[in-house]
Amino acid sequence: MANSKIIKNITGENKAALIIFILMGLLPIFVSGYIIFILPQYMLFGLLAVSLCILWGYSGIISFGQAAFFAIGAYTMGIVIREGGAINTAYIGIVCGALLSGIVALIVGYFLFSVKVRSTYFVLATLALSIIVEQLAKSQKDITGGWNGLFVDRITLTVGPFIEYSLFNDIPMYYFVFFITLLSFILIKWLMASKFGKILIGIRENEDRISALGYDTSFYKTMIFAISGLLAGLAGTIYGTHAGFVDPSLARVLFSTEVIVWVAIGGRNSLIGSLAGGILVASLSNYLNSVTPEYWQLIIGIIFIVVIILFRGGLAGGVEKTYEKFFR
Amino acid sequence: MEIAVSVIIDTALITLTLALAAFGLAIIYGLIGVINMGHGAMLTLGAYFTWAGMGIGIPFVLSVILGGLIVGFIGMILEHLIIRHYYDNPFDTLLLTWAFFLVTTELIKIFFGSDFRTVTNPFPGFIDIGFYKIPTYRTAISILTAIFISFTGFVFFKTTTGIKIRAMIQNQEVASLLGLNISLTYKLVFSFGCFMAGLAGGLVAPMVSVSPYMGDMYLVRSFFVVIVGGIGQILSGTIAGSFVIGGLETIVALFSDQVIAQVAVFLVAIIILRVRPQGIFSGK
Repeated sequence: MANSKIIKNITGENKAALIIFILMGLLPIFVSGYIIFILPQYMLFGLLAVSLCILWGYSGIISFGQAAFFAIGAYTMGIVIREGGAINTAYIGIVCGALLSGIVALIVGYFLFSVKVRSTYFVLATLALSIIVEQLAKSQKDITGGWNGLFVDRITLTVGPFIEYSLFNDIPMYYFVFFITLLSFILIKWLMASKFGKILIGIRENEDRISALGYDTSFYKTMIFAISGLLAGLAGTIYGTHAGFVDPSLARVLFSTEVIVWVAIGGRNSLIGSLAGGILVASLSNYLNSVTPEYWQLIIGIIFIVVIILFRGGLAGGVEKTYEKFFR
Repeated sequence: MEIAVSVIIDTALITLTLALAAFGLAIIYGLIGVINMGHGAMLTLGAYFTWAGMGIGIPFVLSVILGGLIVGFIGMILEHLIIRHYYDNPFDTLLLTWAFFLVTTELIKIFFGSDFRTVTNPFPGFIDIGFYKIPTYRTAISILTAIFISFTGFVFFKTTTGIKIRAMIQNQEVASLLGLNISLTYKLVFSFGCFMAGLAGGLVAPMVSVSPYMGDMYLVRSFFVVIVGGIGQILSGTIAGSFVIGGLETIVALFSDQVIAQVAVFLVAIIILRVRPQGIFSGK
């Protein structure tokens, strides 16, 4: 009985994911201009939100350092493109950025989880990580451009010797980001439905019990943190080439906090909820920022409090409840 | 020799100033286990209230005390409305106090503006000891901090209130069976921590530029002070933690620049967090 209910919920989430991805895939047919330019950025923010969701919602680990990984990815992309290279800087940038973020996360995760540091201390360590990356980005002028930031060209992808796919224009960029988002989402979804994901949920629910069952919980926590860093870094690399510019504010603690707000509002236990939260809240922030620059962060802050106190499931939880109420 | 003395004096001043900033956090975290991410915002609020008080002609000392009291009162309201329902869930209190930080920072921007403000230094001079000039105000602050911490120590270890609070930390159930009002004690401790944060904000205001984000840096540093010093070791731990964090930053900054010093301190703090999560000077 309980089992069948879970299966129904999963398919419900898949339906929601299908609808969202079809809508995003078809959107360029109906609209053009600014929306098509800016939406890829929000999809990448959505991926960043997913990278936190697998930590917070699935594994019970809160990270205040997602912006640090995003920034590491974006800066790596910028530096690789600036330095140029023999083969193809686009692929090298993406791979190096994602790997570097993943490795930093792996080291930090191993360092802290292997001695079972309290989860609240872990939050503070990730907070410090954000500040360290921001300070390094500001101070190492020769590498990162310091306060002024770094300009990043749009990349051109090559397949074999003849096919070139330039991301200079908005539509190719849109579909490239859409494809990356879709692919990452499916992979993460698969990972979280696998045994690996189930053990993580077990750790969130009762770490001692999972440990008693013979699983090395530090290993699983380290791995999920590394994967989260990898995903955030990947989103960061493409953000760099899409935005054309990276600066130290990307690593700010406040940006990390925004990610937490997106996930809380979208629904921390739902991958598609987090993705949608990232896309919706980030675009709403952008809109409110142009309408009431003074009050938008205040409004977002208040929504955040209300969600934590009253709607723990966030948007995804709300949709699910409404769906069950009216259609079952 | 003279350089050594001046470094020692500098380190002592930095240690005590940092201890002042971290003290409110240490009280709340150490006694009731709440990670108050709003600590930085409370410091900022204290600084702005002091600035506003002096703007309408209230003398500095009175402005600082009033600022601290208002922040303490805000803390009490926050505790009553929200925090007290989440004491058994540290993650929720962490997020909710962080939300308090976000909202407060925005309100500060709306009411006071984003520009840098300056609070006039009430004791601008220096104490000249021949080879080194010690800023008078910082000396005053350091002495005041020592008094605050000693006084809290006195209350904590020598009075009935202190015994009650310590009983509560040791065993909540038995303490409440003995007739101790746990929820009231929690409320008072939380409010007192917020009061100390506001007071610290007002006191450091003349030494820094008052801006909506001035509390951020203190927040993270204060946390590391508390963790490095050892949680629950409110008095000795705060001083020891401040000494490690502040002293290290001063010494590294002698050889390189300020940014590298900060990065180094945070790295060291993370390493300490791993190697000795109970604090470096804790006996356990």
